[in-house]
Amino acid sequence: MFQWTSTQRRLLGRDFLILFGLAGWGLALPAYGSPFAMSLGLTCLMYVALSTSWAMFCGTSRYLSLATAAFFGIGAYAGALSVEQLPWWQAVSLGGLVAAAVAVVMGAMVLHLRGTYFAVLTFGMTELIRHAVTHWEKRVTGTVGRVLATAPEPLTVYLTVLLLAVLAVALAIVVRQTRFGLALVGIGADEQRAQTLGVSTRWVKTAGFALTAAVAGAVGAAMSVRWTYIDPPTVFNPFIGFQTVLIALIGGAFTLWGPLIAAIVFSVLAETLRLTMPEVYMMTLGLLLIVCVLYLPGGLASLRWQSFESWRTQAKAWWLERRDTWSGERRRREARAKRVQQAMELGA
Amino acid sequence: MSAGAWLELITSGIITGGIYALVALGLNLQYGLMRILNIAHGEFMVLGAYLTWVAHTVWGISPIVMIPVSFAALALLGVAVHWLCFRRLTQTSPNVDVFEARSLMVAFGLMFLVQNFCSWVWGGELRGYDYMTSPVTIGQAPFAGNKLLVFGMALVISLGLMLWLRQTLMGKGVRALMQSGVGARLVGIDTKRLHPWMFGIGLGLSGVAGCLLSMAYTISPAMGEPYTVTALIVITLGGFGSMGGALAGGLLLGVIEAIGMHFTSPSLKALLSYAVFIGVLLLKPKGLFTRRTREA
Repeated sequence: MFQWTSTQRRLLGRDFLILFGLAGWGLALPAYGSPFAMSLGLTCLMYVALSTSWAMFCGTSRYLSLATAAFFGIGAYAGALSVEQLPWWQAVSLGGLVAAAVAVVMGAMVLHLRGTYFAVLTFGMTELIRHAVTHWEKRVTGTVGRVLATAPEPLTVYLTVLLLAVLAVALAIVVRQTRFGLALVGIGADEQRAQTLGVSTRWVKTAGFALTAAVAGAVGAAMSVRWTYIDPPTVFNPFIGFQTVLIALIGGAFTLWGPLIAAIVFSVLAETLRLTMPEVYMMTLGLLLIVCVLYLPGGLASLRWQSFESWRTQAKAWWLERRDTWSGERRRREARAKRVQQAMELGA
Repeated sequence: MSAGAWLELITSGIITGGIYALVALGLNLQYGLMRILNIAHGEFMVLGAYLTWVAHTVWGISPIVMIPVSFAALALLGVAVHWLCFRRLTQTSPNVDVFEARSLMVAFGLMFLVQNFCSWVWGGELRGYDYMTSPVTIGQAPFAGNKLLVFGMALVISLGLMLWLRQTLMGKGVRALMQSGVGARLVGIDTKRLHPWMFGIGLGLSGVAGCLLSMAYTISPAMGEPYTVTALIVITLGGFGSMGGALAGGLLLGVIEAIGMHFTSPSLKALLSYAVFIGVLLLKPKGLFTRRTREA
């Protein structure tokens, strides 16, 4: 049986302590923060929940899903349609449940494919769902979007998203310590080996995918009321999915706190840069992603003092080689070696 | 429907399909050869389109002249991008799976970078110019001259590329590399030299596609993404790494879209192409036109 070692217990305690502190901070924000700070905090929490839950499944098992936007949008629609009939918390959980159900169906279709096929297919399915909803709205209901007449207080929305973010991180902490989490890591390392060792990979993958989707759907349902008007291009915006993946990867998809740190950094960066120069913000995002994948494949959370030192050694080695070539020293050395060889051949 | 109307419908589908094929060929070259699924391909096409637009409206250079120029410019850019990004990625990735995932992420970054660069420099509005707009009548159906030219050039360039791959020594090397990277290296094909140039040629093809596109349609920074998705659909239809499949798949998709749009509503067009895409990927992941071959 699986036993918890004392180190694991200590790590679990530490992680929960950090989460507790952060949650307290988030809880205190509405009391002293301006409306702007609260809206910034809301975006921040939304991406914390989305990218942490994404990294929990997709990061560890290396199934690169681009379907976050689909689950977010499905949750948003489910929440928006039911918020007038159901109590608030039920509407949010309904969003999560519907998204999870869609994820189970989608997962049954695509989870046997790996790598690029999986990424491309999940993206294609997101777009298919978006176009299907658009078409359905146009044909059947005869509208392009929906206005939400009854919306809960902004404070309620904030607290709900905060709760969801805390739940997502807590889920990630707990999953990392269980057999289920280990099975996900095993699938990421070598799926065939995991299967041989008796992991029911199909079940584990579907369950992980559904968990991710449930969080994304619930966040979508909670966020939809904030916009008061929703239409498919807003809630199924592929950019939501892309940015979630970006944040998780830049932060470090294998780590627990990486996505959270990156989500905070990015939300602040987005709010400061987006209004003045949106293109520059997006270009920075792209450039950061490239640099991160090239030089820090483990993400921001894997940054240690050793990484700086190894970069310094690499840069130094590169510069020494350049200097060697540019000063003509290499050419002279090679010519010398050739002359010596010729002389030896003549001597022999 | 009369025979003439059918002819017109199918021909207009084939004309759109020609551009699809050209974009898909470049993407296919990059994916089939190097396992780089370049999501940013459509964005580089937009770059080629804007290059032609600037050259034509500001300096008054004929778009025909810009075909080789935009090919060369984008090819050089491609070599530079490969040198800056993918060279290091090849060196540091432990296996092909990891390389594929990482290069997909780098391509995402490139997509953000190039798309926003275009809208930063040229603004978000639609741009276009008039070039050879007088209609040409073939049979009974009239066609815009520029669209016929676009189709002709797309076909010539695609066939030229396929001929080059089939006939020359370098093309044979490229095809060998597609079949088996290790095998190709064993018989002495220099992948380090071939990869940057093939990536460059792939981007060059997208530049040509953009150049051709700007002759017949209006351009905007956001138009790249649908073309990337269409190209993905096309290479899935034709099979990853198969050049003839990409050409046939592109033309087929153009015709399917044209007929589908005629008989149903235009809002179903995107739904239709995604449904085809997902259906093919799920049922025949190796492509529609692949024969049953032995496993490599």
